[in-house]
Parts: sequence; C-alpha cells; structure tokens
Amino acid sequence: MAHFTCEVVYRGIFQKNLAARICRGIVLSARKAGRWGIAFGRYGDSPQRNGIPAKDFAIVADTQEELEQNMARYEPKEVDVTICVDDTLSKGVESWAWYGLQPINRLTVPNGTVLMTSLQSPADLLKDIHKKEAPYNLALIPAKASFSGLWVYKEDHTEARILGALAKIQPGFLSLDAVCAAIQEAEWGSELKAASARKAFERLESRPVKITEGNAETPFSFEKPKWWEMREGVSIPAIPIGKPMEGGKGYVPERNPYFKKFTTRTMRPVIDFDKCVKCTLCWLQCPDSCFDVTPDGLYDANMESCCGCGVCEAVCPAKDCVTMVREDAFEDNASQWEMWRRDKPAYMTWMGDKIASKQHVVRSHGFRFRGQYEEEIKQSLDQGGTEITAGIPGENAVGKQR
Amino acid sequence: MAEVFANATQILEPFRGVKKVTIEEYFTSGHRTCQGCESALVMKLMVKAAGPRTIVLGATGCMYVANTTYYTTPWVVPWMHTQLGSSGSAALGTAAGLKALMKKGKMKSEPINVIAFCGDGGGADMGLGAISATLTHKEYNSLILMYDNESYANTDIQLSGSTPYGANTTFSPPGKVRRLIHTRWKKNTAAMLAAGHTECRYVGTVCASYAVEMMNKVRKALSIGGPTFIHSLDPCPKGWDYDPMLSHELGELAVECGVFPLYEVEDGVVRHYGKTKAIVEGRPRKPVREYLLKQGRFAHFTEEDLEYFQAKVDEMWNEWEIPGVIPFKKAPAGK
Ligand SMILES: Cc1ncc(C[n+]2csc(CCOP(=O)(O)OP(=O)(O)O)c2C)c(N)n1
Ligand code: SF4
Ligand code: SF4
Ligand code: SF4
Repeated sequence: MAHFTCEVVYRGIFQKNLAARICRGIVLSARKAGRWGIAFGRYGDSPQRNGIPAKDFAIVADTQEELEQNMARYEPKEVDVTICVDDTLSKGVESWAWYGLQPINRLTVPNGTVLMTSLQSPADLLKDIHKKEAPYNLALIPAKASFSGLWVYKEDHTEARILGALAKIQPGFLSLDAVCAAIQEAEWGSELKAASARKAFERLESRPVKITEGNAETPFSFEKPKWWEMREGVSIPAIPIGKPMEGGKGYVPERNPYFKKFTTRTMRPVIDFDKCVKCTLCWLQCPDSCFDVTPDGLYDANMESCCGCGVCEAVCPAKDCVTMVREDAFEDNASQWEMWRRDKPAYMTWMGDKIASKQHVVRSHGFRFRGQYEEEIKQSLDQGGTEITAGIPGENAVGKQR
Repeated sequence: MAEVFANATQILEPFRGVKKVTIEEYFTSGHRTCQGCESALVMKLMVKAAGPRTIVLGATGCMYVANTTYYTTPWVVPWMHTQLGSSGSAALGTAAGLKALMKKGKMKSEPINVIAFCGDGGGADMGLGAISATLTHKEYNSLILMYDNESYANTDIQLSGSTPYGANTTFSPPGKVRRLIHTRWKKNTAAMLAAGHTECRYVGTVCASYAVEMMNKVRKALSIGGPTFIHSLDPCPKGWDYDPMLSHELGELAVECGVFPLYEVEDGVVRHYGKTKAIVEGRPRKPVREYLLKQGRFAHFTEEDLEYFQAKVDEMWNEWEIPGVIPFKKAPAGK
C-alpha cells in the first residue's frame, strides 16, 4: 500500500483555474493508472482574492481505503511534491490564515520535490527559497509565471507540462501514458497538450538541494492568541493611530501586525525620489495605505503592506518616477527612502539596475485590451512555443467571438 | 443635564485641494483584499474624510470578509460587522442608540459620525428595504455608503441588480449557444433612493478615482444632518477581470464615458459635478468601448453588443428628464 500527496501553491484568481486543473489532472491520471485520488482546496484561502497565495491539494492512493484515511484531515501536514506555478512565491507564502510566512518547501517531505515553473536558475531561486533541515530536489520547467487561471483564458499548456513532469517525478503513481490519456480526455485536453506533457517529461531538469543551501533568513512569524486570550464578544483590538516620523514630522500609520503582504506581491514599486514632485497621488490612491510620509515630504512605500498592484505607478504624474519591478529582483524589504537618504549615488545605481531590466518591468497578468492574450501567445510562438489551436469553451476569448 | 443634539453634526469643511487632506489613516494596511481593490481605497478615503469620532458598521461582503478575518483588522476607528442585508437597520439603530445614551447622560453629548457600508448585493438588492426605511427617519444622523463593485464579489462574482448588461459573472458565463446571459440593465440605485425619500437630506454618487471630490461628498453627507446615502462605483480587478494597476483608470473611464454619472441631490436639488458636469455642459463623452474593452468580463462582446450598450448610455444623456439621473421622459404633447 502506498500513497502520494501533492500541493499546488498558486496565486488566488490569477491561477485558480490552473491549479484546479492540475489537481484534477492528477486525479484523472491516477484513475487511468488504476489508482484512487482526490483533489481539494484549502478552505481558509477561499473566497479568493487576486494575487493572494493559496493552495490546492491532490492525494493519490493505491486503494480506496487508504485514500479515505488520508482524506480525514484538514490539510496535509507533509507532501511528496510541492508544485509552484509562480516563482515569485519562492520567497514563501502568507496565506489568509494564521501562518506567518511559510517557506515554499515547508511541507515538502525529506527527499521530496519542489517543482516550479521559472526562468531563473536554481542558484537564483535558492537565494529566495528558505533552507530546509532535510535534502530535497528542485525540479524546474522553464517558463514564466502562468496566468492561465484568469477568466479570459490564456492557453499556455502549463497544466499539461506540470502533469508530464510529475509522471517523471512520481513514476510509481502516474505513468506518462496515464497522464497523456487523462489529458486527452479532460475537457481542456488535446493532442497538442499531450505532446506538451511528453516534452516536459523528457526535458525536466532536477537537482538535489543540500541542507546547507538556501535563504538563511528566519521566516516572519508571530504568537497566535489562545482562545482564552480573545476578547469578549469576539471583539478585535483596533489598530492604534500612527505617529509622526523623526523630529515630529511626517507620518507613519500603524499596520496590522499579523497579516503582511511580503508574498502577495509579484511586483513592487521602485521610486526615483529625485523625480518626485510631491503631488501626494501615490499616497492618496494606494488601496493598501502603504506609504509613509517622510519628514522631507516624500512618500516611502512600506514593503510590509504593499501588494504590488501598480496603482501608484499608474497615477504618478512624474515621468519614470515610479516603476513597478518584478519581485524576484529583490532580496529584502528594506526602505528605499532610507537607502536613498543614506547614499544617493549608491541608490541611483541600485535603482538604475532594477528598472533597466526589460524582463523585470513588463507586467504579464490581467486583461488590458482585447486581443492581448492572443498577441502574447503569438509572441511566445515566435520565440519557439507550441501552436495553440484548442480553445476552452467559455474560457477562450477567441472562441467566444462569433 | 446633558445637552441633547437634535441634528447637530460635526463641522467637516471640504478639503480645499489634495495637499489639505488629513494625513492620518483610520483604515490602515493589512487587509486581505485583492491587488488594486478600489473598494479598500473607498474605505480608507471614507474614514479619512470622516475623521476619528466615527463609528463604522459593515455589512457582510468583501469589505467585511477581506478586512477582518482571523482576529485581525485594518480599522483604527470602531467598526462592527452587521448582516448582509442590514446596513440600513444598523445605521438607524446605532444612531438612535447613541442619541438615547446621550439623552440619558450615559455618555458625553457630542456628534459622532455613524457610517454603515454595504456592497451592491447588500445594498441594491437584499438590504434595499432597510435602507429605504432609514432614509425616512429624518431625526437620526447617518450615512449609508454603498460600494458598488457590480457583483456579489466576495462569494466569487455572482450577478447583482447592479451588474452591467452582458457582463460575464459566475451566474452569467457567456457560452457558445448564448453569448449574453445577463441582459438586464443595471439598477439606478442612487436616483431611486433620492426620488423616493423626500426627507433624505443628501444622496450622492462618487468614484474614488476622484479622491478629493469623493471625500468632500462624504464630508457633506456627514455634516448635513439626517439620513444620507452615497453610491460609489468601485472597479474590482477580480470581478471585472483586468490588470489591478488599471483600477484608477477604469474609474475615470466609467465617468468619462458617461456610464456612471457623478451627481448629488441635496435637499431635493440635483447638481452634476466634476467631469460629469462638463459632459452635461457639452463636453463630448468618450465611447463606452474604451471602458468595456479593457475588462475581461466584456471580452465576449461583439460590435453589436457594444453598439447596444452605447445606445443605452446615449439614451441616458439625450432623452432622460435629468441627464444621467432620472429616467423619466415627458409624454409628447396632446397624448
Ligand atoms: C443572508 C446571507 N446570505 C448569503 C450570505 C453569503 N455571502 C457572504 S458575502 C456575500 C456577497 C455580498 O455581496 P455584496 O453585498 O455585493 O458585497 P461584495 O462581496 O461585492 O463586497 C454573500 C452572498 C450571507 N453572508 N448572508
Ligand atoms: S503597488 Fe503601489 S499602490 Fe499598490 S499596494 Fe504597493 S504601494 Fe500601494
Ligand atoms: S505620485 Fe509620483 S510624484 Fe506624486 S508624490 Fe508619488 S512618487 Fe511623487
Ligand atoms: S473581489 Fe473586488 S471588491 Fe472584493 S476584494 Fe477583490 S477587488 Fe476588492
């Protein structure tokens, strides 16, 4: 008797349909291979919000009884494979509930696998992925973060490639033939997608990670209140009003101490303080009240609370003053304003480096104009991608235009 | 004996320009809304305008669930959760309760702002009756703010009476056989409430893309005394399916295309304001396609659908008794 458990860590809404398809694909493949399986989401992450990290799970077992045993829990405490379809999550996960920051590999069993889609090298990813007290494998599918979970579906075969890779990682549970058969039968399946799964199986690169490797930072955590410590009438202590910054000038709002947005972001604003005209618009229009008002009248985006929406960049009237940059370009959450104040030339070099990279400043999620996804798919075709012919009824904009 | 405030209110002068806006936040970071959630911004601006002596009551919806779960909160001012259809009852009950306590000398007599908020599901649909009742009680000061993200967003985007024509929601997914499932025109909530409650002192429509104007409408509603209502249009990246960075721009487009007119009804007098005023005075409206085609929920629209939408909006402006507000037309002479 044996069973296999896997989690899919994904971004709420952006990748919700994608994660559900991966987990369903695992179960359907397991059935093709004569096994039993179940797919489910973690309740605490629902109702989902754009960008908030969330998890789905799939369990496969040899027998129905064994599957039932493994289902009798709220969520698995350990998994054989952690699948992550957005490498900006390699910094860890703050989901809805009381977790603090969960390293991406926290539930991965010793010698288990973290399977990611990423264009980064293992060495770069390991700057973010926290150290673990047991060795594990890092398997990579070369691809940028998929946003194929959106309403208007951007078909990019990510689910098929993940399933193909899983067949390589867990051959005892999912054979490649079973995976391809399941893909073809699923409502999102096609010959082409099965071909993508085969390709991923052949080309999957995996490398062992030693206990000495990885980000040495201690993940952010806090004490959960005990039930007897909670206040009468389920009342929650209000957040205190903020206070001025140094010298009684400026203003720093107090912030919710338990829910940080370190990993809700896929991008973050980088600010050229020399270009700022102090118009206040970023501060006023930020839905997350991120900005500290500095004593010199500048606005410093606090990285504890920034979710990376990009509204500040959209409203800033000064040219090239706020630039959103992909989260994987950063190693810490330090204050940009303090860095600027300490050493302006050094800040300019740092900032110039961050905003220069085309790869880092192009946003790739959300619907911006009609035909956007078709254009992006064409672009990736021009770069040697696979042609996509099979649309998904009700999900593909092309299929919907009569 | 404690002084009784009949309809005394706080003095809240309008902010004269963006630099004069209160620096303090009374709704701060750490809520769990989506990236680019305009409704969270509405909450922040709403209490920034109201100031510290304010009680906020919130009906179930995104702004409750995403704001206050797992024993955490972004609220600095006192806040209480009320049931999905109860924003009206909660506003009235709280205002009456405060008044009674002050009258009995159990608390200091002072004007305290009472704001209840609800989503469009909770306001335009379920709680409409209670809101209507509250707006007839002229002796109690309260503001009900309906943040309209045009769906039951929290429970994953079901269509509400406020969902626009043709939009893709979980209850109206476009299919191959029928392209449009939702073919009803959006409810005209603010105007309906203004028209039907002659003693309601103030009804206004706002959009947080015009933050200072929006805060000044909140200040006016709170300082005028009696029951008041504000309807705010909130772009919602999750339900409308667009890149979160476009939230601000979509709010502007809704106004500039004439889809969501900005106006206020103060003691029965209608006034258009902001960009809408310019439109009424003859400035051209942008075509609605600029607004619609930036949103995934309309990605299935054909030219024909866009034309229909445009024609309906044109009608609001060209044929209504009060452009964009009151959908009545005069009967032709002799009929
Ligand atoms: C009486 C009742 N019915 C159903 C629900 C489930 N529910 C919770 S939030 C919500 C959606 C509310 O929609 P809306 O008022 O538009 O606010 P939004 O979620 O859009 O912010 C629903 C249906 C509930 N809490 N109470
Ligand atoms: S990206 Fe800008 S507007 Fe958005 S949360 Fe961060 S600081 Fe605020
Ligand atoms: S919006 Fe731009 S110019 Fe205005 S205060 Fe913010 S950073 Fe400065
Ligand atoms: S679903 Fe819409 S209203 Fe709700 S939190 Fe997300 S953006 Fe805000």
